[in-house]
Amino acid sequence: MAPLLAARGVSKAFFGNPVLRDVSIALQPGRVHALLGENGAGKSTLINLLSGALRPDSGTIEVDGRAVARMTPALARQAGIAVVQQELSLTASLSIAENIGIGAYPKRFGLVDYKELAARAKAACKLVGLDEPLSTPVGNLSLGRRQMVEIAKALYRRPRVLILDEPTSSLSATETKILTDLLGRLRGEGVAILYISHRLNEVMALCQHVTVLKDGTCTADRSLEGTDAAGLVRLMVGRDPGDLFPKWQPSGSPGAAISVRGFSAGLMHDVDLDIGTGEVLGIGGLVGQGQEDLLLGLYGAIPARTVSATVNGVSGLPGNVPKANALGLAYVPADRKREGLHLIHPIITNMMLPSLARLPSLKLRSRKAERQKGRDLAAQLSIKGDLQRPAQALSGGNQQKVALAKWMPHDPLVLLLNDPTRGVDVETKREIYLMLRAFAAAGKAVVLLSSDTPELVHLCDRVAVVREGRVVRMIERAALSEEAIVSAAMGAERRKVAA
Amino acid sequence: MTAWTDSAGGRRARAILTSRPFLTLAIVVAVWIAASIASRGFGAYGHLRYLVELGAVIGLVAAGQTFVVIAGGIDLSVAAIVTVSAISLPLLSWQADPTGLASVLAVVALTTAIGVVNGLGVALLRVHPMIMTLAMATFLQGLLIIIAGGSAVTAENPLVHWLGNARPAGIPAGILLWIAVSVLVLTLMHATPFGARIFAMGANPLAASLSGVPIISTTLAVYGISGFTAGLAGVLVLGMNGQGYVGIGDPYLLASIAAVVLGGTSILGGLGTYAGTIPGAILLVTITALITVVNASPGWRSILFGSLILGLLLLSGREQARR
Repeated sequence: MAPLLAARGVSKAFFGNPVLRDVSIALQPGRVHALLGENGAGKSTLINLLSGALRPDSGTIEVDGRAVARMTPALARQAGIAVVQQELSLTASLSIAENIGIGAYPKRFGLVDYKELAARAKAACKLVGLDEPLSTPVGNLSLGRRQMVEIAKALYRRPRVLILDEPTSSLSATETKILTDLLGRLRGEGVAILYISHRLNEVMALCQHVTVLKDGTCTADRSLEGTDAAGLVRLMVGRDPGDLFPKWQPSGSPGAAISVRGFSAGLMHDVDLDIGTGEVLGIGGLVGQGQEDLLLGLYGAIPARTVSATVNGVSGLPGNVPKANALGLAYVPADRKREGLHLIHPIITNMMLPSLARLPSLKLRSRKAERQKGRDLAAQLSIKGDLQRPAQALSGGNQQKVALAKWMPHDPLVLLLNDPTRGVDVETKREIYLMLRAFAAAGKAVVLLSSDTPELVHLCDRVAVVREGRVVRMIERAALSEEAIVSAAMGAERRKVAA
Repeated sequence: MTAWTDSAGGRRARAILTSRPFLTLAIVVAVWIAASIASRGFGAYGHLRYLVELGAVIGLVAAGQTFVVIAGGIDLSVAAIVTVSAISLPLLSWQADPTGLASVLAVVALTTAIGVVNGLGVALLRVHPMIMTLAMATFLQGLLIIIAGGSAVTAENPLVHWLGNARPAGIPAGILLWIAVSVLVLTLMHATPFGARIFAMGANPLAASLSGVPIISTTLAVYGISGFTAGLAGVLVLGMNGQGYVGIGDPYLLASIAAVVLGGTSILGGLGTYAGTIPGAILLVTITALITVVNASPGWRSILFGSLILGLLLLSGREQARR
């Protein structure tokens, strides 16, 4: 059978830097094909070639076995190729239905036929389990729900080939389950699916075939049968992965870094929580249950109330960010592009900002001292290259390292991390894990909010599971497992506790 | 920014040569040379000195505007503040103030306070800077009409007179004032933590606030500075004119914004330098002088001025899209 969509020996270079070299991939009907590789391996470029957003320097793109001379996004749409991008492409002020249908609205007498649009959008929404009213502006939805709208938008076009670029990075466990079922159904209908993810367990469970890219070349193109996760990592990094998670020992008996009673902020209400020195406390749960508000409230970035609170020996919550910084709190946001970094500013300026935010306003700066500090930080976190480049020149993993590095000169006592490894390649993940454990071993506290459950299991001393704005369960190290976290997050054991 | 970021020797020189402030300066010099050849009186030392003196008023107003724009805002009340300063100075005079220093300080304190009120509206009430400062301008204009009643006022203030007319060592006092303010502004902008916070706030307010930048106090300071420099400009323009009247500040709104943008500061915030605004201000007065030289009627002068600013911005001021 001819593949629905294929690339044959394609190469692509940007400004003389080869990004893809002689790569071939064939998407067969009724198969979920995984595309794996570290950040910068060339996955996004390959997708762009397949969908006509870019043209290859050499090699061909084939649709239904016939070579297409000049692939364009319009041709790709006609051929039934739909791409769900990693960076969401939705318009916040438009409704769910309008976003789903955009560019392909049903027309009647030259006007948008809203009735028909609603009917077809509703069908697409049903497939992905979106039950919000279709007129809801997309801006009111959580990141995970927006991702589902993005997928519904692709389905609305009844694709024969569906390309998904990290679709689960912002999805909750339930939404991931819905997506998994959906992909199984589409596969049964003969749709060819290309699936990109950094989560190997998902890939193992969902896909039948895998292509692995490393530094722009194809290191594997084979059936997933008979391979294991460690084998895939070896193909991606080109060496034995060792263990993704570092070995660590609990760092003695913890004192209290932060202790709150009756804490409420945003979605969170009435939370009692003690965060010990020398521990990594995980925050788990489905996406959007209020975990982020917990971190932001402690950090003083959103209004919060408590009955009583002690933060690093000082009673009361900090109330605003400068005060939180002064008390030794540091926060690393999830969305590094929007919240963590100043993309248009040099890397070194980004690294120095928290220091500059705290220094006396009119004290003269020493550029020489700043450069020295910047070099030290870059060496410590192995961030390579000229620090005068704007932060947007860095890859996602390195941007995340800068977002972390900028707090290091302050020697924070408590690190609040919001999903620090999302969309980060395996190598950088491991570096971040090592850093967090080293931080805890030095007697500091780490609060790790993560949507990656294995991370919580393997890295944390304890995990607080949040559901509907409350900490529903605190799981100690001995009892930590993915099952324990997921079942607490879904409320599966509520009855057991009551009994 | 490029001229002010740190880098090694040769690269540094190239960075300066290709930077927007230098480019604007090069345009000014080129226009001066061309105009001197075309019109004999233009290149005389006295005339060029007069141009820079006129540029000082725009340069002062644009100093505060540069801060505000880099911080991600805009101040549309500067013209009204210049007028407030020029009109209220004669009203705030005391017998027991022979040098006139006290009334100048009082006026500048007043205009700084007006700027801080702008900042309060923007930072605390979260009114869009354009609406807040435009409303402030309208409010001030109404107030001026009530107070001054449409008649011109004359200042008998020795310090103001000195600023507008004295030439210590052959250099007009207004230019000396501009030089002093420029040194202060450039130091504040590029060599202090306060300056760094302004750039951070303009480039990404959310990331700045999560990094511990005190957004509210920084916003108040930025609009306060704008009120301060517009107030100084009002004092200077009163001294140069001898009389203050309602509408005296009007030309300085578009001029201040144009000087900022011509100097390479991003209207989107987060990037720029006052080092570019300085030649930008001089370029603006040069254009005005050229238009006067061609003897156009007042209507055509405005049309030419507007078109030339647009043309210059099209040539050099367009911004690259941000990702």
